[in-house]
Amino acid sequence: MADFVQLVVLGLLAGGVYVAVGIGFGLVWGVLNIVNLAHGALVIIGGYITWQLFSAFHIDPFLSLPVDAVALFVLGYTLQRGVINRIIRAPLLFTFLLTFGLNLVIINVLLLMFGSDFRSVTPSYSGQGLELGNVVVPYTRLASLGVAILTAAALAFVLNRTRIGLAINAISADRDAAQLVGIDLRHAYAMTYGLGAACAGVAGGLIAMIQAITPTAGEPYTLQAFVVVILGGLGRVSATVVGGLAFGLVEAFGQSIPGSGSVFANAIAFGLMVLVLVTRPQGLMGRLR
Amino acid sequence: MSDMRNGVSPEPLLEVRRLTAGFDAGPVLFGIDLEVAPSELVALVGANGAGKSTLLGVLSGLVRATSGSISLAGEDVTNARPEVLVRKGVAHVPQGRRLFGTMSVEKNLLLGAYLRRDGEIRGDLVRVLDLFPALKDKLSREAGTLSGGEQQMVAIGRGLMARPKLLMVDELSLGLAPKVVDHLIEVIQQINREGTALILVEQDVLVALDAANRAYVLENGRVALSGKAADVKEDPGVRRAYLGL
Ligand SMILES: Nc1ncnc2c1ncn2[C@@H]1O[C@H](COP(=O)(O)OP(=O)(O)OP(=O)(O)O)[C@@H](O)[C@H]1O
Ligand SMILES: [Mg+2]
Repeated sequence: MADFVQLVVLGLLAGGVYVAVGIGFGLVWGVLNIVNLAHGALVIIGGYITWQLFSAFHIDPFLSLPVDAVALFVLGYTLQRGVINRIIRAPLLFTFLLTFGLNLVIINVLLLMFGSDFRSVTPSYSGQGLELGNVVVPYTRLASLGVAILTAAALAFVLNRTRIGLAINAISADRDAAQLVGIDLRHAYAMTYGLGAACAGVAGGLIAMIQAITPTAGEPYTLQAFVVVILGGLGRVSATVVGGLAFGLVEAFGQSIPGSGSVFANAIAFGLMVLVLVTRPQGLMGRLR
Repeated sequence: MSDMRNGVSPEPLLEVRRLTAGFDAGPVLFGIDLEVAPSELVALVGANGAGKSTLLGVLSGLVRATSGSISLAGEDVTNARPEVLVRKGVAHVPQGRRLFGTMSVEKNLLLGAYLRRDGEIRGDLVRVLDLFPALKDKLSREAGTLSGGEQQMVAIGRGLMARPKLLMVDELSLGLAPKVVDHLIEVIQQINREGTALILVEQDVLVALDAANRAYVLENGRVALSGKAADVKEDPGVRRAYLGL
């Protein structure tokens, strides 16, 4: 029983990162109909900003999270406005190719700037944690979960309570009708991608605290974001939160099976995704649209 | 059919000249000339695929003009973006209503005022509800759950919430019972009397010609006939082709 509780806690903590990675990916997918293959690369840019601010200026990684968000928002807005908007009416394959190319460009720029060395962010408190049975839960992990949930809440607030959120919901429901009430499509699309990138930036800052990063470290996160969004269901932030936490739990329990490693846990998570797709295509929490 | 243009006021609100437009598949409109005076009610009729909706799309900025010009109150607005046209006073109630189906009726109506910053939005909401009392107790309902007639009311109301100078309604009567259509036409005429210019696109040619001051008949992307609605209604070609007489 103690083991069970411990696994649940560990799973939820791991899930926090998946929530942070998943919400931006889900927003861009749901509203713009772009499966953003560059998402993991955006995440890692956030990680490098946090690392750079920490290593050069000793800025606490949690304090650099807002910087990650703002920087990635600006980058995302610009990318969408300048590049991706041009092919928004193109078939899905084009957006795959474009975001895949974007992913490669970002990785190579990061390689040029930072090299391929592992970089990690280790504030003084990184070794400390809460003792839970025979496991120590790092405080950074706990705080990460909190930050992830807060980020999701902030995104939900923007989408449901603000004017630009209303515009984003409107373009996602009916692009032409939204334009006919005066919503500037290019701006609303760019805001959507910018918000998604901002969430990715926060996720990257959190990830830099729990693992060493390299320019290619984001690639698994693109895949995991995909699974998380499918698990939870497209179209609602809260669904992605559920999906992310569920993914963390499944992974934790998968890894606890004797003899299994992280590969096996991944296999279980993807298996679950297929199961969800077959039995509940709208996701655990999603609405059919 | 002959040209019967007359009754156009010297200072048109909307002036369309030699407009051509189309899609990737090919051109749809070939040199359209059209005028709407302020506070005029103009009917735009024609067969399926004649290009009526495409024309409204060009006028609201959804479809690009390939040549020709559009001016609004004397200002060139050819290929202006939709949000610019909304701000300048063009509202388009699209074919099929196109409501935000999972949002409440109230949200749909308020979205119509998306670009407005003045303090009279609530007051205009009350005005829309006075025009369409049936919506009063349905404000919190999801728009997609309303009847067809009520959805058309929301669609027109959403257009009105922008405080347009020109309101364009595409297929007002489609799929609605005659009584509902009569009511909607009355409201449209009231809106028009209160000073909003109107373009009414209709499959039901008789309904449109009875309601309008002037009319344009579109055939294969060209204006085949235009003039006073009463005259168009008496045109032998129109009687044969559209009125089944
Ligand atoms: N989005 C589009 N893409 C490509 N072709 C289109 C599009 N919309 C309309 N068309 C074509 O343009 C032509 C005119 O269509 P349009 O919808 O303007 O006619 P309409 O007069 O409104 O007809 P209806 O009475 O059926 O509504 C048709 O041949 C149609 O196939
Ligand atoms: Mg049409």
